[in-house]
Amino acid sequence: MLKFANFSLVLVTLATASTLYNLEHTTRAGERSIAKANAEIVDNAEDIKLLKAEWSSLTRPERIQQLAEQQLGMKRLEPDQIVTAAELPQRLDALSKVEKPEGKATIDDILRKMQ
Amino acid sequence: MADPKVIERNRGLAGQNRIRLLGLVYVAVFCIIGIQLVRLTVLEPDEGEAKRMAREVDRVPRPDIVDRNGVVLATDVSVASLFSDPRKIIDMEEAVELISTTLPDVNAADLRKKLVAPGRAFVWIKRQVSPEERDAVYNLGIPGVGFVNERKRVYPQGRLAAHTVGYVDVDTKGIAGIEKYLDNAGAIYTASLAEPGHPISAPAQLAMDVQVQHVVADELSKAMTKFRAIAAGGIIMDIHTGEVIALVSLPDFNPNAESKNFGKDQQNRMLSGVYELGSVIKAVTFAMAFDYGTINMNSKYDARFPLVIGSARISDFHAQRRVLTVPEIFTNSSNIGTAKMALDVGVERHKAFLEKVGLLDRLLTEVPETAKPLLPKRWGKLVSATASFGHGFAVQPLQGLSVVTGILNDGNMVPPTFMMRSKEEADVLGKQIVKPGVSKNMQTLFRLNAVEGTAGKADVPGYRVGGKTGTAEKVVRGRYSKEQRLTSFIGAFPMDNPHYAILIMLDEPKPTPETYGFATSGWNAVPTAANIIARIAPILGVEPILTEADRAKLEKSRKAKKG
Repeated sequence: MLKFANFSLVLVTLATASTLYNLEHTTRAGERSIAKANAEIVDNAEDIKLLKAEWSSLTRPERIQQLAEQQLGMKRLEPDQIVTAAELPQRLDALSKVEKPEGKATIDDILRKMQ
Repeated sequence: MADPKVIERNRGLAGQNRIRLLGLVYVAVFCIIGIQLVRLTVLEPDEGEAKRMAREVDRVPRPDIVDRNGVVLATDVSVASLFSDPRKIIDMEEAVELISTTLPDVNAADLRKKLVAPGRAFVWIKRQVSPEERDAVYNLGIPGVGFVNERKRVYPQGRLAAHTVGYVDVDTKGIAGIEKYLDNAGAIYTASLAEPGHPISAPAQLAMDVQVQHVVADELSKAMTKFRAIAAGGIIMDIHTGEVIALVSLPDFNPNAESKNFGKDQQNRMLSGVYELGSVIKAVTFAMAFDYGTINMNSKYDARFPLVIGSARISDFHAQRRVLTVPEIFTNSSNIGTAKMALDVGVERHKAFLEKVGLLDRLLTEVPETAKPLLPKRWGKLVSATASFGHGFAVQPLQGLSVVTGILNDGNMVPPTFMMRSKEEADVLGKQIVKPGVSKNMQTLFRLNAVEGTAGKADVPGYRVGGKTGTAEKVVRGRYSKEQRLTSFIGAFPMDNPHYAILIMLDEPKPTPETYGFATSGWNAVPTAANIIARIAPILGVEPILTEADRAKLEKSRKAKKG
């Protein structure tokens, strides 16, 4: 009886030892991957910061203005170039009457449905 | 006597007791081990110690500074810094030789002196080296020389917002501008931005819009070249919230520069400089007289003769030599009329009003560089009369603009801020400086002055601009100079419901052939303001309302440009 008890206790000890070992192993692996992921997060955050700074530097209004004037020939927006939304629908109507393709929904129709 | 059997049995009993005792000890020890095992593995470990150590190593980074649309104005990037532990260097001469040849800007003699100093375990060789330099030194393989990653503050927008954002020293400590504010009084503010438990704090958001800021800087630098001015400045403010949307002071500086020895010429003139703003201050005098009820829109003042107080004479620049109504005094910028208005209010009440609107005290905002107004020592009749048209007392330009925003915002003056502020927050902070009715009168006068007065060139078609001009003679060696002038313009748009206020200042603009030899505000500061408003109004979302005359005017100027 006692022998059996001892034997089973030894078995239990072995079993728990191996489980513990496995647990420890997976935990360590988990910890390593967490540390790796954290390091990656830090690195990526650092990269994002650097890229954001670069983006901000590249989209400096001064630079954009220079490019827009030299490459695109853009000029100052004059107030009479700004048109209110209320002035638009008439134009849409006139256009859709002339060029409405057969059986197809035009942007005009879609806009009407949305209203 | 002893029965051997009994002795035998007693021995057996003693043996059993020992075994039991041993068993108990074993059980106790295993229990302790078991409990400890559970505590260390299953239960959460005590993190206090580890966290404290981690915090010491990884100090809280400075928050980024962004504009109102999230454009990065200041951020930290990681760079390597080269250091040395002199005790570990084997061949000192060779190390010095190698490092100074690899890094040309490291002086060999200086480095040797630093390294041989006794008892040093840590010496900076060079802070913030480039990645190429880092690799080059790394490949030298000198023992006792290493790198640490340091944070370097960079300003991607360069000069653009330099005066507002400020800068930091090599240890990333705030030295000027918002950077200093974040370090000092703003420490609590910075802490409140940091998400609890998150090492990366939220950015500090400024009220500034870099697009608007750029337009102001661009037009001002053009004006400086065109009129050969020695300095220029401009501010755009939101009248409702007191937010400073743009603040430019030229000449400016590059906060990314290695050496931060910026001269007095590069100071923030809008805040740390004080200037006699001249006639733009008349707006304050008018508002005061309306508020005390000493004038109304139909009042008249005799401006036929110069005003004589004691031995001083006050005369007009645009002399009309007739009796002027209140709107005429404003649009002709009559000194005589304005001085008489101030005298009617009375010296004490005049001073009290200036005190109330804050023109007698230093204006304090987040940006720490401020200057105290220069005030006359004794207030008498003459001082009051000259102060009514901005003569004899100098204030910070931002201060002047702030009072005008109050006058135009139904009398509700919101203290200016460089940080983003909502309408709700602004409503709590506002201070009623004049009655709402006074504000309506002032709005009418401002608009009138741009339609038919001295600020005629500011009337950008469609955007309903209103404003007041000012031309002050500069004090040179204790005397007012006729040649050196400071011209300014304070205005707002759209005038039917003022939303944005603008201040433009040019220091010593010269006459040009285009201005027919004039160098007063109407010929330089006002057109500059008009150029700025035409460009920023669409950015700020001000809808143009065009009359037929406006359209014709625009068409004509377009044809003139093409032809």
